[in-house]
Amino acid sequence: MAERNAPVILVEHLRVNYGRRVALCIDQLRFDRGECVGIIGPSGAGKTTLLRAIKGYVRPTRGKIEVLGLNWSMCDRSARRRVQRRIGLIFQQFHLVPRMTVLQNVLCGRLGSTHRLKSLFGRFSAEDKQIAWRAICEVGLQEQVHQRADTLSGGQQQRVAIARVVAQQPEVILADEPVSNLDPVLGAEVLTLLVEVTKHHDATLILNLHQPALAKRFVNRVVGLRDGRIVFDDLPSRLTDDQLQEVYLGYEPTPLYRDDSTAGRSMAMVGA
Amino acid sequence: MDFVTDMMPPDTTGEILAIGWETALLTLQIALLGTAIGGLFAVMLGLLAANNLTPEWVHHPLKVLLAIMRSIPVLILALVLVRAVGLGPFPGVLAIAIHSVGNLGKLFADECETAFEGVWEAMDSAGANWWQKVRFAVWPQVAPQIVSLTLYRLEMNIRESAVLGLVGCGGIGFYITLYQRSFNYTCMCTMVLVMLVIVLAVDQLSVQIRKRLT
Ligand SMILES: Nc1ncnc2c1ncn2[C@@H]1O[C@H](COP(=O)(O)OP(=O)(O)OP(=O)(O)O)[C@@H](O)[C@H]1O
Ligand SMILES: [Mg+2]
Repeated sequence: MAERNAPVILVEHLRVNYGRRVALCIDQLRFDRGECVGIIGPSGAGKTTLLRAIKGYVRPTRGKIEVLGLNWSMCDRSARRRVQRRIGLIFQQFHLVPRMTVLQNVLCGRLGSTHRLKSLFGRFSAEDKQIAWRAICEVGLQEQVHQRADTLSGGQQQRVAIARVVAQQPEVILADEPVSNLDPVLGAEVLTLLVEVTKHHDATLILNLHQPALAKRFVNRVVGLRDGRIVFDDLPSRLTDDQLQEVYLGYEPTPLYRDDSTAGRSMAMVGA
Repeated sequence: MDFVTDMMPPDTTGEILAIGWETALLTLQIALLGTAIGGLFAVMLGLLAANNLTPEWVHHPLKVLLAIMRSIPVLILALVLVRAVGLGPFPGVLAIAIHSVGNLGKLFADECETAFEGVWEAMDSAGANWWQKVRFAVWPQVAPQIVSLTLYRLEMNIRESAVLGLVGCGGIGFYITLYQRSFNYTCMCTMVLVMLVIVLAVDQLSVQIRKRLT
């Protein structure tokens, strides 16, 4: 096993190009065990690309990405699958299995560890069911276990997705704009839950967030991306309006505190 | 309007009705078996022919194969197969199955291609293998449509099957041509009416089942 204080994720001299377009250009970035990191940045900054590169879904054009001690570009397929299984994903659109119950959806988190053939017939071991049940309790959906997941509210659906990731027992949780489809109150609840779950399972959380205000409330480190480069990497308390300007300059302004005059202006532009 | 009066009244002697019932049942069986076999293969080939589930070298040739299978009309397939395997219901079943694979396989592949990509990625992320991803990310989304499309195909196949009697596959179509050629129009009328009842009954049943699915 790697030494105790080795980084969970290490990115070095990373370059991701799409054609001639540079999507990511990061010299060094490391995340340690137990961190809750928020990644902010305007649309197209490369937030999604960074998460997908960490998961190993996007191949770097150049550079190194090491996750849980494994270098994505220097490993065989099976080692890669084994490590990928220890990384959980949360999506903006939840991506639950339609027409299946909450319990069945959460059991899907076990697919990588359970008996493959039995799972095809919907059969899971008692241990799998116990893990799933505990995950459901953790997100507070005991009463809805046997309800079809697509009949739940948006906030509840994201809870199911979180339970599914908990059932996967990951060491790293990557969440790509997990609350962008939810109203602010629900969004805050879901983020609280996500942070709690991460702490409880001694995992590492990386969150992509559109709203910097939310990031400030829930994470203990903020990384600002702009045009694929890191322009801010520090404690949330150090994120001032000036720094936010630098991250979002030239893009749609997203101030820390809602400014009614800008809201009015953008409304006027929509009208024009 | 002579041909109408020629057929009236339909011959309802017990013997003729028995023949009608028995042969209509055979026609129905040919259609059911052909659709079942065709549907089964269509599920397998349809999954493999979906461009989001398999690599290019798998789905591309399969799409071509399915296109060829559905481009040949059932009647012509049956004509050829009767030459190859002999008279009887077997070439009929085969002809319907082959055409249905081509037809349903393409529709199933289309269904799979519209299945939500995100769930696939979510299952992959949890460590699922290809089979598990198909089972959990694709199947729940396409299963109701697959059942519905197969039932619809069954309705059409019963009509196809009735015609197959003309080329030597047995069933009610054989007797319809037989009576027609011997100018026994009242008996022919009985056969047509029996067929009509069976087709309508199956259509109704199928419509009811499909309604429940949505
Ligand atoms: N598959 C792709 N092919 C080509 N270009 C891509 C692809 N994916 C992303 N890009 C480009 O890479 C850049 C970064 O995209 P990315 O999706 O990572 O941004 P983002 O920060 O997640 O944006 P958003 O906030 O809108 O989700 C963008 O310019 C985008 O157009
Ligand atoms: Mg994104």
